[in-house]
Amino acid sequence: MELTEITGQQFKDMVRSASHRLSKNAEFVDKLNVFPVPDGDTGTNMNLTVTSGAKSVNECDSNKIGDLTEALSKGMLMGARGNSGVITSQLFRGFYKATEDLDTLTATDLATAFSNGVASAYKAVMKPVEGTILTVARVAAESGKNKAAETNNVTEVMRAVVDGARKALKTTPDLLPVLKQVGVVDSGGQGLVFIYQGFLEGLLGEKDNDYQLDDTEMDELINAAHHQAESAQVQLATSDIKNGYCTEIMVDLTADVPNKKKFDLEEFRKHLSEIGDSLLAVSDGDIAKVHVHTEHPAEVFTYGKQFGELGKIKIDNMRIEHETIVENHDEQEEAVDFAVIAVASGHGIRELFKSEGVNRIISGGQTMNPSTQDILDAIKKSGARKAIILPNNGNIVMAAKQAAELADIPVGIVPTKTISQGLTAMLSFDPDADVDENVEAMSEDLDTVKSGEVTKAIRDTEIDDIQVHKDDYLGIIDGEIKVDNPDLIDTTVAMIEKMLDEDSEIITVLYGSDATKKDADAVIAKIKSAHEDDDLEFEVHDGGQPVYYFLVSVE
Amino acid sequence: MAVKIKAKYGLIDISNNVIATVVGGAATSNYGVVGMASKNTIRDGAFTILNRENYRRGVVIKSKDNQIIVDVYIIVGYGLKISEVSRNVQDSVKYNLEHLLGIKAKSVNVIVQGVKVLDE
Repeated sequence: MELTEITGQQFKDMVRSASHRLSKNAEFVDKLNVFPVPDGDTGTNMNLTVTSGAKSVNECDSNKIGDLTEALSKGMLMGARGNSGVITSQLFRGFYKATEDLDTLTATDLATAFSNGVASAYKAVMKPVEGTILTVARVAAESGKNKAAETNNVTEVMRAVVDGARKALKTTPDLLPVLKQVGVVDSGGQGLVFIYQGFLEGLLGEKDNDYQLDDTEMDELINAAHHQAESAQVQLATSDIKNGYCTEIMVDLTADVPNKKKFDLEEFRKHLSEIGDSLLAVSDGDIAKVHVHTEHPAEVFTYGKQFGELGKIKIDNMRIEHETIVENHDEQEEAVDFAVIAVASGHGIRELFKSEGVNRIISGGQTMNPSTQDILDAIKKSGARKAIILPNNGNIVMAAKQAAELADIPVGIVPTKTISQGLTAMLSFDPDADVDENVEAMSEDLDTVKSGEVTKAIRDTEIDDIQVHKDDYLGIIDGEIKVDNPDLIDTTVAMIEKMLDEDSEIITVLYGSDATKKDADAVIAKIKSAHEDDDLEFEVHDGGQPVYYFLVSVE
Repeated sequence: MAVKIKAKYGLIDISNNVIATVVGGAATSNYGVVGMASKNTIRDGAFTILNRENYRRGVVIKSKDNQIIVDVYIIVGYGLKISEVSRNVQDSVKYNLEHLLGIKAKSVNVIVQGVKVLDE
């Protein structure tokens, strides 16, 4: 039978099916995401946007199209996430404006609504980039409009919209060079195609009015919403995770428990949101499923147990998970021709080395020296044809030399004894030169760097004519203790003063995990005021290193 | 004032004007941003949309220790989720600074100076 009108009920089905289709494919869309910022979250963002819109439509009692499109538009606006999400919300804002007063949708209404959505969406952008979701939306709407001129059949029009969208999606790599380079279609455009395909499916009647999320879909929703694609995860620092335990429980609400409380989903959500974030709580009346990130998993159990028996329980330590992901990612990095391997600890220092072009970092330093085997493994894993090692510690130079002898490829050692020396040596690295040339060039400037370290004395002693008291701070210059003082700032300032001479130009301060930026600033302020006439430059970085409060280099 | 980058053969100075153009370009390429606004609303008027040559009036750059702090003044289209548009601006400004100039921004602050009603 030819369908000439879309009713409110049918529109609800369309939205539900669109949201369903998109959320099933969100991860796939994430993987396509290279434009405008390749952070791999387009699918996740669009999914959250559309899910929010679908939820709002679901909660709408009216069966009037105008009310439903309003609900959809509002829900999407509230839930809009990311660039693509904002664009989608705007597309449907225009869609709503064109259907505001309608009870049902005819073929012409539908085509006009899509066109109006596109017109609205294009207004909110200064320089539309072709080859994106905007292009897909525009071509889809044009295709729908052409169809509506021929037929009154709404299914045909919707099909034309989908066809137009798919065709446009295929052309995106030709319009946007970055897509062609990577060999993908536009992620936002692909997301929109899924939405439109969902609309069509909903309209064709592959529907289930009592549609409920089943368990696997619930899991998918959780995955899409809270565990972004791996590529995006590695851009986060593990230390940024505030709530470390990903906690999931199922509560069997039908079971009898002592002092059973009446279950109210809103109340339940509210309470849980106070003890964690990334909350997802769903219930079908018999079973409640909860997913929450918290520091206090036990509280989630205790709370849940008041409403029924606890079913499935799962806790993951996300900090450990995240570290693993980051480590795996590091290991998967592409093989390079010429690898530089540095020994270092502290997230900030690792980052500094990486920003200078170091390919692999071996954890280690003062308290945990890597073995010859560790270094050898790193050389092997790099897959490189030649390598340079920066031991960055006097105690590791020997192990590095042994590893170099055992390795199958030419390996050069730049005998850096401190992190500061290592960072300076990297400035002279030339990937086009051979190993010996590099070792020579990189070792050349080592003498010009003075390295200072500030740490705490663990016992009373006397070394190098300095009386050391337990718990005092120690200033160590190039391996020799030069300052002992109970105050951290004073120690550091005194140490830097001893390192300065008339040739000094650049002072770099790396503050460790036990010191703060404020401490570093205080040190620099003191040095600055004492050397107003000298042309000194300061650099401060969060080194994050253990043991040493400050690592200072003077060049 | 400029940002200094220590490179292999010496220092690279990137003037604030260059950074402002990159920041402004990145910000305005975002969906929902209808223009750059001036940081100085009294002198330039609250709803003046800056042209490309004047982006620096809507971008404030403070540099510190090889890192920079960027303030971006924008006007957003009405009917869009302002918080999300702003967050997208932060993302793309940060990405473009790293990608085009090799500068890591310590923070990117977005100041929404106005909302423009787009006729519907």
